[in-house]
Amino acid sequence: MMDDYTIGLVVALIAVIITFYAAFREKNDIHRLIIADLAEVSALAIIALIATDLAEALIIPGLVVGISELMALSEIYLVRENLNRPVKEPFRIEVLDTAPAIIAAILVIYGIVLSGFTGGVVAGTGMVFYFMGKKQTERFALVETVSGYAWAFWIVAFFIFMVLPEYWFFAVMLAGGAIFAKVTAKMSLIGTMRGEKDV
Amino acid sequence: MNPELILGFIILLAGVAASAFPRERDYISRLIHVEIAGTGLMLVMLAYDETIAILTFVAVTAIATIVLIRVIERGEPCD
Repeated sequence: MMDDYTIGLVVALIAVIITFYAAFREKNDIHRLIIADLAEVSALAIIALIATDLAEALIIPGLVVGISELMALSEIYLVRENLNRPVKEPFRIEVLDTAPAIIAAILVIYGIVLSGFTGGVVAGTGMVFYFMGKKQTERFALVETVSGYAWAFWIVAFFIFMVLPEYWFFAVMLAGGAIFAKVTAKMSLIGTMRGEKDV
Repeated sequence: MNPELILGFIILLAGVAASAFPRERDYISRLIHVEIAGTGLMLVMLAYDETIAILTFVAVTAIATIVLIRVIERGEPCD
């Protein structure tokens, strides 16, 4: 009788083979972008089978690299095909008209509770929804200034770990809060990608 | 094997097969098929108690959908 890991590995490898066969046969560029996303999902299934903290440590950087790769590829596609003009008839996504304020509030509060990198990602997702829903005229220079100071605080926390290890709790709190503010600020920039003419 | 794991594998395979060979070659429906495969992956992660991985995957999937929708609404209509 095979154990969980072997069965899972067979299933995940079948999924990967199907994905790459589809990617091989596909000619349309946007379909290929979507299949790249699918390839990320089926490849992460293999890593998820490891089932320890090692799996989490491998999945999180994989996700971050995957989303950056997807953004870079989509940006290259838009520039190559000269599609950077404003959209003539954007999709009417009803939930983006009504829900963003509530979803943003819930996600930001939950992100503050989580703190750290994951908290920053969750709170940042809330801000992405908020900025996508509203026609934004926010002061992004201010957000970026906060992000810069947060990075400096993060470094200060690491110096406290090295020089004054007895204040480790203060340093943990400083580092957690600072990386939270930094990731949130960076993620909130993504939310503006749809709205303005040249972002 | 616990039920989440079995269900996760089934949904993962179904989602991958559906988005690899979609019945309607339409961008939006293909994107939704990818979300099905993502649901299967999340069930597999749930079976192995990978909390932080699930939370990050949810957040990243939301952003990936936004990025792809942005390309789809600017690109040419399909075939």
